[in-house]
Amino acid sequence: MVNRMTTFQPLRRPARPPQKVGRRGAARWRRAVIAWWLLLASAGVDAQVPPQLPAGGAALVMTPQTPVDLPVPVTVSAAFDPPTVRPGEKTFYRVTVDSATASVQWPEQISAPTELKFGPAAHGQIARAQNNQLHLLSSLVCAVRPTGAGRFTVSNGTVNVAGRMVNIPAASLEMGTNAPFRPPARQLWLETSATNLFQGQSFRVRVWLPARMGNQIEALRELQFNGGGLITDKTTLRQTGETLTVDGQPRTALLCEIMATPMATGPLTFSAQGFSAGSEFIGPVIFRGPVSFPGGPANYVLHVSDPMTLNVRPLPAAGELPGFTGAIGSFSNPPPQLAAHRLRVGEPVHLQLAFYGEDGQPRHLALVPPTTRDWQMIADQPPGNGFTLIPQTDESKATPAIPFCYFDPTKAKYVDLSIPALPVTVLGESLPVQLATTDAETPTAPPLKLSGLAPTPGHSMASLTPLQLQGWFVGVQLLPVAGFLALWQWDRRRRFLEAHPELVRRRQARRALRREWPKLRRAIAAADTPAFVQHAVTAMKIAVAPQYPANPQALVCADVLAQLAGAEPGDSTAEAVRKLFAAADAQFSKSAPAPAGLLELQADLTAALLKLEEKL
Amino acid sequence: MATGAAAAPDAFFTQGIALNQAGQLPEAAAAYQKSLAIRPAAGTLVNLGITEWQSGHAGAAILAWEQARGMDPFDARAIANLAFARAVTQVNAPELKWFETASTWLPANAWVWLAGAGLWLGVGMLTLPAFFRRRKTSGQQALAALGFGIFLLGLTANVGVVSRAEIGFVLKRNAPLLLTPTHTGEVISTLTAGEAVRRVRVRGDYYFIRTANEAGWIQRDQLGLLFSAPTAPLKTARPSP
Repeated sequence: MVNRMTTFQPLRRPARPPQKVGRRGAARWRRAVIAWWLLLASAGVDAQVPPQLPAGGAALVMTPQTPVDLPVPVTVSAAFDPPTVRPGEKTFYRVTVDSATASVQWPEQISAPTELKFGPAAHGQIARAQNNQLHLLSSLVCAVRPTGAGRFTVSNGTVNVAGRMVNIPAASLEMGTNAPFRPPARQLWLETSATNLFQGQSFRVRVWLPARMGNQIEALRELQFNGGGLITDKTTLRQTGETLTVDGQPRTALLCEIMATPMATGPLTFSAQGFSAGSEFIGPVIFRGPVSFPGGPANYVLHVSDPMTLNVRPLPAAGELPGFTGAIGSFSNPPPQLAAHRLRVGEPVHLQLAFYGEDGQPRHLALVPPTTRDWQMIADQPPGNGFTLIPQTDESKATPAIPFCYFDPTKAKYVDLSIPALPVTVLGESLPVQLATTDAETPTAPPLKLSGLAPTPGHSMASLTPLQLQGWFVGVQLLPVAGFLALWQWDRRRRFLEAHPELVRRRQARRALRREWPKLRRAIAAADTPAFVQHAVTAMKIAVAPQYPANPQALVCADVLAQLAGAEPGDSTAEAVRKLFAAADAQFSKSAPAPAGLLELQADLTAALLKLEEKL
Repeated sequence: MATGAAAAPDAFFTQGIALNQAGQLPEAAAAYQKSLAIRPAAGTLVNLGITEWQSGHAGAAILAWEQARGMDPFDARAIANLAFARAVTQVNAPELKWFETASTWLPANAWVWLAGAGLWLGVGMLTLPAFFRRRKTSGQQALAALGFGIFLLGLTANVGVVSRAEIGFVLKRNAPLLLTPTHTGEVISTLTAGEAVRRVRVRGDYYFIRTANEAGWIQRDQLGLLFSAPTAPLKTARPSP
């Protein structure tokens, strides 16, 4: 038995066919020339050098960051402000640490005598630049109301600062009816433009920082609001120094106004806090009335306000109109202005929109453009309210209507303020009216171009649809066919009558007899015997003429009697015929008078004529 | 009354020229449409085509000029404008069969009258002498032969006219050619404005058409038939980028 084993051999590159020495040498020579040229070309190329900064430029690029002073050890201070109160008065327990708030872990609870009722704690941080260093200051403040008289001490506690426990010094508060009068501790006053609001309705918040003794107005920094569900727009902050009346006494204070918006519903409690910062005002401040500013370095003190509760209602779902984007308030808008009412496809046109609030100030409202295939709509950059419209088709006769509505909190309903569609004329894209000839064979050929307008309507038709495609025309084609059929029938009839002349004679006799009947009746009515006789004889001759055939004028009484089948000599009809013919013959005689009583033969005559007519 | 009715198309025609010269192209097109609705005329169609061309509606312009040429095959303006428009838009003229080509030699209505006259001339020359008991002369027989010859020629041309009635022109630029007669139908390809197609059948708002290379469905309002009166101003759409 033969054991067959398969062995795998490595693939070998097939041997190149031998090349001629001359071709190989030429390739080497070509590569050498290329390499030589590359070397020569690179000789004139310099390495790229990064752009060099001028002398001192690095200092312009690198802005030195102010170093933060982190004192070691950390200094903590605690005190009541004021340290003595009368019954019912309020004081503030304030702890200050010269470190960053992020590194301070304030205690959850402050161990204090039970007679001291601590309110919610507020804490903040402020930075002070001094000696080219930033000094951070963190502060905690609580409103405290003692419930009993006596001296109370908040014992030493600890605060965790950057992982190290630092002692809080003890602070004492004395409450008694005999305590010396002190002005109440300074605190922030909080005021809002409305307390009954809808969700999303912006309102104005006023925070007052009363002046220090001596009418010295201090700056208020790091203003913030505690309590969730409220957002503020710090770009609307306005600061003024004003004099207001508190408890009948004029008080000077720094007023900070800011716009806030409730985002949650239900009762919303919030308070304000901020640091009094001496004369370190930030931003423009308007002062009204006589004020003074404290001198020397600022003494940063964290102040809080009493909490305030807002009643925030959700927006009603019923009655919401299309285009509601959350705008709440009362707005008005002038009619929209379109830059052009006649445009081409693809040509942008600007739609100018403007909205004004109750105060007459322009407002930016986010309008959502409708989705349409006919227009491309690009909203203006805020605070612009307009749109850039680009028509996509010339089928558009008007700009798209932009639905918009706002919620009016005073009326508690939605108000439609949609932008109506504006009529426009959109032309299609322009096409060339002349085409330059590019035919090289006939360079002198005139260029193809659009002709001028036709001065006259020219050849016209009743309809663009050809006659071949109109149903009535096919019907009209049947008329000649019918005419030819009628002509053919007429010819057949004519030939038939030519083959049967008796039919023609009888028809002619009937026609002539019908003409004689009225004449007979008129003669009878007029009692005109000669006329009666003449028409009676003529009628009888006409009636019997086709039977022979003969000309009626050639017939006599016997011919008539012969056609009256069964006429006997004594028959009254035959007798009447004879009398009538006799009377007719007698009329040729001038002397012969017309026999009387012939008119009485009319009954017999009628019977004879009817009998003869039956044979026709 | 008749004078007023006759003057109305001319008044609209004149108004269209004035509006066109004033640059009010849509209004001019509307005036021409009104004139055409009362009494179609080749010159009105030529001017309507020029207005549509100036408005950017190449398809509508080509359709109007084709209709003008169908009404008056010797209208030089229509012929020149068609050549110009097809050179610009790079679309071909419709491919005609031989009898359709013959039908373009004269106005469409002329063929039907010519065929009718030829037929009844031949029939009359053969039958009337017999009816009137006249002897058929060689001249009458020659006239009958001529009449029947004209009838046969006119008959083929009339067939051509009827056949050309299915020729249409794409009105909108990049009009979609659909696989099915539904608005969600798959788009086979897009057609150029002014492209000549043949209508094969109708279903609802769609025509089944055949182009030089393919067949599919197209919406009715995107196709203008050669012998159909335009009922509304013809529009085109800007292609989506």
